[in-house]
Amino acid sequence: MLIYALVAGVLFGLYFSLVGIGLNLVFGVMRIVNLAHGDFLMLGAFVAFGVVTLAGIDPLFAVPLAFVLFVLVGMLLYWVLVPRLQGSVNPEMLSIILFFGLSQVIEAVTTIFFGTSERSIQSRALGTVFQTIKIKLFGGTPDSGGPIQIFGQGFPASWVIASITSLIAIAFVYVYLYRTRLGTLTRAVMSRRDEAFATGIDVDRVSAAAFGIGLGLAAVAGVFAPFMFGSVTPAFGADATVTSFAIVVLGSLGNPLGTALGGVVYGVCYMLVQTYLSSWADLLPYVLLIFILLLRPSGLLGRRVRVA
Amino acid sequence: MSPESAPILNVSNVVKRFGGFHALDGLSFHCAPGEILGLVGPNGSGKTTAINVISGLYAPDGGEVTFDGASLGGVASHRLVHRGINRTFQIPKPFLSLTVRQNIAVALAYGRAAVAPPEMAALLDEYRLADVADRPAADLNNAQQKMLDLVRALATRPRLLLLDELAAGLNPAELDWIAERIKALAQGGMAIIVVEHLMGFIEHITDRVIVMNAGKEIFEGKLAVAVQVPQVIEVFLGGEHAA
Amino acid sequence: MPSAFKHTLFIVAPLLAVFAVLPGVYENHLLLFNFVIFLILAQGVNIIYGFTGYLPFGYVGFFGAGAYGFAILVMHYQAPAVIAVLAAGLVGVALGLLLTPLLRLSGAYFAIANLAASLAVLHFVANPALENITRGPYGVSLTGTFNPTLAYSAALAVLALTLGAVVFLKNSGFGLALQAVREDAVSASMAGVNVVRMRVIAWLASALVAGLAGGVYAWYVSVFYPDNVFSGDFSIFAIVFALFGGVATISGPIVGVIILYGIYNLIGFTTPQYFQLIYGLLIMGLVLFLPAGLVSLATRRGWHVP
Repeated sequence: MLIYALVAGVLFGLYFSLVGIGLNLVFGVMRIVNLAHGDFLMLGAFVAFGVVTLAGIDPLFAVPLAFVLFVLVGMLLYWVLVPRLQGSVNPEMLSIILFFGLSQVIEAVTTIFFGTSERSIQSRALGTVFQTIKIKLFGGTPDSGGPIQIFGQGFPASWVIASITSLIAIAFVYVYLYRTRLGTLTRAVMSRRDEAFATGIDVDRVSAAAFGIGLGLAAVAGVFAPFMFGSVTPAFGADATVTSFAIVVLGSLGNPLGTALGGVVYGVCYMLVQTYLSSWADLLPYVLLIFILLLRPSGLLGRRVRVA
Repeated sequence: MSPESAPILNVSNVVKRFGGFHALDGLSFHCAPGEILGLVGPNGSGKTTAINVISGLYAPDGGEVTFDGASLGGVASHRLVHRGINRTFQIPKPFLSLTVRQNIAVALAYGRAAVAPPEMAALLDEYRLADVADRPAADLNNAQQKMLDLVRALATRPRLLLLDELAAGLNPAELDWIAERIKALAQGGMAIIVVEHLMGFIEHITDRVIVMNAGKEIFEGKLAVAVQVPQVIEVFLGGEHAA
Repeated sequence: MPSAFKHTLFIVAPLLAVFAVLPGVYENHLLLFNFVIFLILAQGVNIIYGFTGYLPFGYVGFFGAGAYGFAILVMHYQAPAVIAVLAAGLVGVALGLLLTPLLRLSGAYFAIANLAASLAVLHFVANPALENITRGPYGVSLTGTFNPTLAYSAALAVLALTLGAVVFLKNSGFGLALQAVREDAVSASMAGVNVVRMRVIAWLASALVAGLAGGVYAWYVSVFYPDNVFSGDFSIFAIVFALFGGVATISGPIVGVIILYGIYNLIGFTTPQYFQLIYGLLIMGLVLFLPAGLVSLATRRGWHVP
């Protein structure tokens, strides 16, 4: 039972890292609190529903589709919303309210088009592409798509696929930040936004890219949401946002790679509480969030001061 | 002026570290009522850190600061204000959305001046803020914001006043005017510590200077003497000795 | 005439008079009651956000805690409703005290931590393990104290108290010092202001107001579930109403509630998603085009707005 909880915690935790990393990228670069983050997860899930119901193919194909789509959406939204917001007296506070408004709009529009019913995808659908490739290359027959064995315990294949995708996404963020020119500029803006302006960095271009990537990653995380959480409704976004905040703050706000650690710690805690104290599991994200903010305000890896 | 009278401020062997960096490394000096003491030194020599420690914004990592015979260790800033210490800021931070008058009213009401607090109207007149008294502080220019910051400090009737680069950015006429004001305050018995890069201004108003380098005192005495000490000249090579 | 008196005479008294008379001529008493509740909450947000700059994104935590404080006193101790309302206020203050460490956080961190705190209180109250005390997720029913007329009067009394507090803040050195802390805490401490104490007082005052509002709400509706009284809509609406009118004024939040909550009820509840869409767009437009609220239209022209 303990081993199951720990392994499941790590698998979920890696996925949680993916859930939070986009939010953190946006906050780190723009000092903007994207309260609509969870709604972009929800939209990513609807992309997966679309791929399965319209095209009838493996929802894994929704990953690149959702990413590209929401990078574009993000850049567009950035130019519409953010420069105006940054010009106001208190952009950090007002961003909370602005993006709350956006989350209401997204939730409303999704409800208008798709209704409020819970949607799910058969977990067998995920990863069928691998089976197809295996059969094409090596022949044989499709196997049952049953659980994957780790340390003698069976885990749903969808969890493993989601966590592997998350690892790839985290690696992508790392390469972007540390191995590309735009990423280097992004880190410069993160550490000293005002000085970055002064040195002539095109802060708007860097920020728009970060905003797009942040939303793209949220949408990718959303593709797996139906498998990780069972089902998704348009109202799923609000809860997902708070959970994302807990993860991000745990790892340290403003440090996207810290989120990877925050996600794993969160996932393991979540699974342990689920296993041993299940009736109090709902409290976990909130209590964890408050304790981390108060005891270690800069997060597990952070060094930023945030005391008033 | 009576630099011989007993010091009201004693800074002894104060250490302040930021990570591994020693911003103050055993700094000691004193200041007496009626005295104008200059703190000079290159950027990063610890002048502003010294002011921040004395005004309670930073807690020192070693040594002791005493004011009027009592230790200041661990005392909150607003209590130091009530005891009679105040300061101005290198970059003034007035209450931007409040009017000039409201800015001053806060300090008059909460400063708990030991003697009767000064009159609002007199302060506004003396520091040339009467015309803008009912405008929000955000509308003031830099020089006016500095004066407002000074008035905010004076409204609490300090016995020790710390001026952090008050003169920077003022024009020559304003410099002469503010120099006279500072001297008048000292003649009233206030102990004043001035941090400044403008050497002419320092020479004009101070009784004595402490030259600092790397968080330590390297010279103490008249500025005219200091500029002939080889060690001091060496520290200032690189253009700091301007104006 | 001192301005505090003028504000009471020309803003507070007429508003209270109108809401005292309206139940006699307008039938939808629940709507009037909700208006009063939102006037209280918007002014409560005004106290903490307008005067100190802390954005209470989980403000509903105090409201819900107050409602449950009322319910527990009535259910388990058979307390009279008025006593239970006062206790609700104390529960709000107690929760506020418990959360004072959050004031160490600034900006978005405070807002997020406060949101998390309100959700933690919700999940705590709604936990089936506490069924004996709070009835957990199954909700409470307080038919014994049901008396909408008296509850409405109590709401007006709480509104009067809240408006009195805001008039005091707007016209006193205390309120000025709070605003000084909001603008720059270091400069405020160098004006002799005890920054920590000021913030805690404002925080507890806004917690008290929301706790009392929760108490009268529980009294009025008498049957409710955790999700009703801890609904995030209370926080958001109170913040948006206050912001729409303009914070750090007496009239701003009042104007905000009357206009926006008026529109809310005109659009109606029949198609919630269209309502949500319009509301979301309204909030976004507010932040982008009128971030300092309606009153800024007047103050920009140099008019003084009380």
